[in-house]
Amino acid sequence: MAQFDLTRINCQYLDRHLTFPLLEFLCGKEIYNQQELLEYILETVNKTNMIDYTMDTRKRLNLSQEMPEELVQRKAEVLATLKQLQNEVAPIMKATDILKNGESMKDSKTFVNALQKDYNFKVEHLESAYKLAKYLYECGNYQESTSYLYFCLIVMSPNDKNYLNVLWGKLAAEILTLNWNTALEDLTRLRDYIDSANFSTIQALQQRTWLIHWSVLVFFNHAKGRDLIIEMFLYKPLYLNAIQTMCPHIMRYLATAVVINRTRRNALKDLIKVIQQESYTYRDPITEFLECLYVNFDFEGARLKLHECQTVILNDFFIVACLNEFVEDARLMIFETFCRIHQCITISMLADKLNMKPNEAECWIVNLIRNARLNAKIDSKLGHVVMGTQPLSPYQQLVEKIDSLSMRSEHLAGLIERKSKQKNQESIDSWKYY
Amino acid sequence: MSRFFANGSDSESESSEEEVLVQNYNKASNFQFSDDEEEVKRVVRSTKEKRYENLTDIIKTIRNHKKIKDIANTLSSFEDLTRAYTKALPVISKEENGITPRFYIRCLAELEDFINEVWEDRDGRKNLSKNNTKSLGTLRQKVRKYIKDFEEEMARFREAPDQESDVEEVEAQDSDAERADADSDDGISAPVVTKPADQPKAVKVVAAKVQADDDDSDDSIDWDPDTESETESSEDENQYQNMRERFLKRATEKEDKDDDKRKDKRKEQKHKIRKRAEDDEDGEWETVVKGNVVEKPKMFEKDAEIDIPLVLAKLIEIMSARGKKRTDRRLQIDLLFELRDIAELHQLGVPISVKIHFNIISAIYDYNQKISEPMKLEHWALLLEVMQSMMKILLVNPDINMNESVAEEQEEYNAAPYFIRGCPLAAVERLDDEFTKLLKECDPHSNDYVARLKDEVNVVKTIELVVQYFERAGSNNERCRIYLRKIEHLYYKFDPEVLKRKRGEQPATAATTTTAPSSVEVMDKLCKFIYAKDDTDRIRTRAILAHIYHHAMHDNWFQARDLVLMSHLQDNIDAADPSTRILYNRMMANLGLCAFRQENIKDAHHCLVDLMVTGKPKELLAQGLLPQRQHERSAEQEKIEKQRQMPFHMHINLELLECVYLVSAMLLEIPYIAAHEFDARRRMISKTFYQQLRSSERQSLVGPPESMREHVVAAAKAMRCGNWQACANFIVNKKMNTKVWDLFYESDRVREMLVKFIKEESLRTYLFTYSNVYTSISIPSLAQMYELPLPKVHSIISKMIINEELMASLDDPTETVVMHRSEPSRLQALAMQFVDKVTNLVDVNEKVFDMKQGNFFQRGNMGNRDRGYNRNQNNQGGNWGGQRRDNRNQRNRNQRGHHKQQQQQQQQQQQQVQTIEEE
Repeated sequence: MAQFDLTRINCQYLDRHLTFPLLEFLCGKEIYNQQELLEYILETVNKTNMIDYTMDTRKRLNLSQEMPEELVQRKAEVLATLKQLQNEVAPIMKATDILKNGESMKDSKTFVNALQKDYNFKVEHLESAYKLAKYLYECGNYQESTSYLYFCLIVMSPNDKNYLNVLWGKLAAEILTLNWNTALEDLTRLRDYIDSANFSTIQALQQRTWLIHWSVLVFFNHAKGRDLIIEMFLYKPLYLNAIQTMCPHIMRYLATAVVINRTRRNALKDLIKVIQQESYTYRDPITEFLECLYVNFDFEGARLKLHECQTVILNDFFIVACLNEFVEDARLMIFETFCRIHQCITISMLADKLNMKPNEAECWIVNLIRNARLNAKIDSKLGHVVMGTQPLSPYQQLVEKIDSLSMRSEHLAGLIERKSKQKNQESIDSWKYY
Repeated sequence: MSRFFANGSDSESESSEEEVLVQNYNKASNFQFSDDEEEVKRVVRSTKEKRYENLTDIIKTIRNHKKIKDIANTLSSFEDLTRAYTKALPVISKEENGITPRFYIRCLAELEDFINEVWEDRDGRKNLSKNNTKSLGTLRQKVRKYIKDFEEEMARFREAPDQESDVEEVEAQDSDAERADADSDDGISAPVVTKPADQPKAVKVVAAKVQADDDDSDDSIDWDPDTESETESSEDENQYQNMRERFLKRATEKEDKDDDKRKDKRKEQKHKIRKRAEDDEDGEWETVVKGNVVEKPKMFEKDAEIDIPLVLAKLIEIMSARGKKRTDRRLQIDLLFELRDIAELHQLGVPISVKIHFNIISAIYDYNQKISEPMKLEHWALLLEVMQSMMKILLVNPDINMNESVAEEQEEYNAAPYFIRGCPLAAVERLDDEFTKLLKECDPHSNDYVARLKDEVNVVKTIELVVQYFERAGSNNERCRIYLRKIEHLYYKFDPEVLKRKRGEQPATAATTTTAPSSVEVMDKLCKFIYAKDDTDRIRTRAILAHIYHHAMHDNWFQARDLVLMSHLQDNIDAADPSTRILYNRMMANLGLCAFRQENIKDAHHCLVDLMVTGKPKELLAQGLLPQRQHERSAEQEKIEKQRQMPFHMHINLELLECVYLVSAMLLEIPYIAAHEFDARRRMISKTFYQQLRSSERQSLVGPPESMREHVVAAAKAMRCGNWQACANFIVNKKMNTKVWDLFYESDRVREMLVKFIKEESLRTYLFTYSNVYTSISIPSLAQMYELPLPKVHSIISKMIINEELMASLDDPTETVVMHRSEPSRLQALAMQFVDKVTNLVDVNEKVFDMKQGNFFQRGNMGNRDRGYNRNQNNQGGNWGGQRRDNRNQRNRNQRGHHKQQQQQQQQQQQQVQTIEEE
């Protein structure tokens, strides 16, 4: 399954700390050599200040039980630096705690004013708070880091050179503390900032690419994420372009999100266009599944791909939680398409196409019919499902066409009215000058 | 063409274009005289002068050879000397009463001494090269034999070796030169070829030729050379006294020493002057002018110590004559060659040589005064050679900076970081342009063209040299320019390696350290550099176009498509210059062909439709002018258009293009016609294809197809009945293969693809056309009929059902398609029509409103086309020519508005009146 594994590519666009969950996840999957993976983790961890994690990894690698000299030394160093930074920031934090309870917490400006007036607040303090937050983050103490970052965000002006870094840091920390609600907020804030800031085209593209990768983590874990991911990746041209030019592999997550989102079926059409367009740069079982189903109407192919999809999803950290949903919805999609085309289907064939046993399939169809999502009857003597197709009668066609007409005319009339009003207004205005 | 000149802060390369563009850049003082004076100075030489000059020249070279003990060359020079002397003998016997000129004797004496000296020096002799030793022996023998004839004079000379000889020499040389007239003709017809690596011998040869050429131009002005020598002495001495006075002032400084000789000489000169005066009255001879050479019969004084400043001064002197009306351009070239050889002979260093090379190049460019005409072939060969040798020198010597930004005063020839003014870039660009002109001059079907085309390799090589030079020392801008030149020689060439690599028959790109990079990789590298570094829009645009072209050529359809879409070229190409637009058209044509090969019929059609719909792809691709109709173009315009034409070897086959277009139009249009047979609002996909179809329908008797178009039309007719076999036979047969399909690189694959598409589209057409006859059709029998695999048929039918093109559904147990087509009743049909018309009305109303609003043109997809990396995925297909099609729809809709029923027209008018009232 290694050929469909995206961890290698995804990690390029993630923060070092964000990669650990991915790597740990892979450890449990036996796609790669466990030993090598752990060594890799160790190497990565060594670049951070998370000494305990390093030790843990070493243990798992069955290296010597004792802590190497240099690690001990580093631990001491890290603690010392931490202490020092904390001391620098302490007075300000104390002040903040006091102010938090008061009135001045309402908006950042009054807050900063109060700080400056009463507590002798200086820019250097902000700097050290920022440093401390970063240091804490590097040590793996995300929870505390977020609080300092929060402080920074309030106090810092958006023009500050560190502002972007703070935003990124906050997002990373929130993701790592699994605080999905705040993470989503931070994500939106960061996105707005990137869209409004004056980056060069290439920089903006790079920032967006990173943001896209990080946001995948948030979207698949947040309740609202499934709508938002479609909104952002598919319908924001800037982000769609970023995906197309920089990271077409994100199509996998977008496709998954569309499949498991029953309410957004109309997005499917747009998605398939994009998939087709990018099919030469990226394809995996999930996009191929959609292609089979909606471009080639190759149900046999779709069935096989669905089978592959399951393994792919099972091994992908981002979407592993959606496995069951995905399979269910994919089946439904196959079945729906089937029904639109056919007027009579044998149950055994259907079961075959859906990777189910005939009995299960019958049961499944019965449920669908009962929930009134399907206008069909089962002929159990022959083992057929007969669709209650209704050819579009000319009368209906007529009504449909006329429907839109009245709408449009009304709209037009409204426009004209508004225009004439405006004109009257203008003419009155212009008269005033004479 | 004019770009070469437009760049020019560089006066060196800025040459006389159409007429006279006097660039009196390096004003040498001795060129500041009036025309009158020139007239006089021009004629100063007699046969004797010429002969003598010839002799002295050779003597001088002998002396030089002696200095460096180059005996082999001394020998050959000696042989030349004796020959020249024999030629001069009649003059000598006549003018000097048979007394051998003293300088000649002196030379012989010196030579003898020299040989004896070398011969005696046994140690030295051993060190001589084999060649030299051999020559020494021969020379010794020859000289001994030869001087026997002059023993008396030699003895006299040895008694009193005097210094006066210098004077005589100059005199003698003058008079001698005249005599060369008689045989000067042969000298001219021989091509002027000198190798840069020539031995000093060449100097003499060139010198002789300069003489010859000079004389020739004399002749062309004056009279037949043969008659001259007979008439020259019979002239009246007393005529034109004042001319004589003038001449006296002008002649060489020491002339007054020998009165006797001068008299004769003067006689001749006067004669010439008179003749000249007569000719000048006619005026028609004025255009051919003798250059400055007459006053400088030889490059330098014979004893002058030739060093860098002297050569430079000389160079400036020669070059300052350029662009002047009276300058003999060929002579200039020859002079420069001579100068180069002299410089090399005296080992003045590489920079001087480069400088002279460069000046030779500009002199050659100057030679042709009309910009629209190609240069002569001999000059072309010369030019290539000089250019290459110059670039090689530049490449070998990294401490030479040749740059157009170096000012004249900053030039540095003596010390290590040399600075030379000049622009190899402009020179090579001009070279390339000249090459194109040469090609266009040839008949493309003749062997001439092939022979010319062989030089392409050399041109590319030269460009490659310049590329190397600029990669070492050029600015980004210069590199972009030279890269573009390289690209323009690369982009239209097909490299089968690329396709082989793509299919994995050869190691992929990563492992190609040993093999040369494929042309696509080279293109990538060059273009990416230009994209990153270029700051003029034009170079980048052209690079993109060439890049796309190249990709399309090698079937990299997706890359090519993405480049087109991302560059947004189609939006603003109309603002570009004509040659860029031509390139754009060529690119589109090729992209269409590529899409066709890659089975993207729709895209192929979209790419080609803009080219074909005008009916003059030939003109759009600059592959030939349309015949004149009622003097549409002025002569001037035609000339300009001719200049834009592509050379033949870069042409895109028009028949192939048209065939691909028609076939893809057929594949799209026929099923569409079938599907919308009774649709009131049907529109055409391809107008051109429709025309073909209709013109064939109009014929009362349709014979078997002959031309490509007839084949396609016949195929289309077969397809309309769903007869795929006949259709495929019309498209793919022997005739069409030779005419069209074999032109593709992998023609078999294309043919297979075509047959596959014909089957599919025929099936669709069949279903559309005959579905109302059936209540159910068996899928297996369809598959059998169309020889398609069952799943494919299934998939095609499914697609039609989903898209609601076919009112039917599948019945799985019986494997049939069940039709649901319900025929509307009469009333219903009428109602539907009515609804259609009302819809039209609403459309028109909306349009009227939009027009009033003024935002009519911002409708549809125009709004969301912003720059950047935005790829307009929503209308991928329509992107190619979407705008045009949009407009056409609207027009159609508009027209239909006029065909409305009376009642509705009234209704509409009412509504419009209402609208106006409301407003």
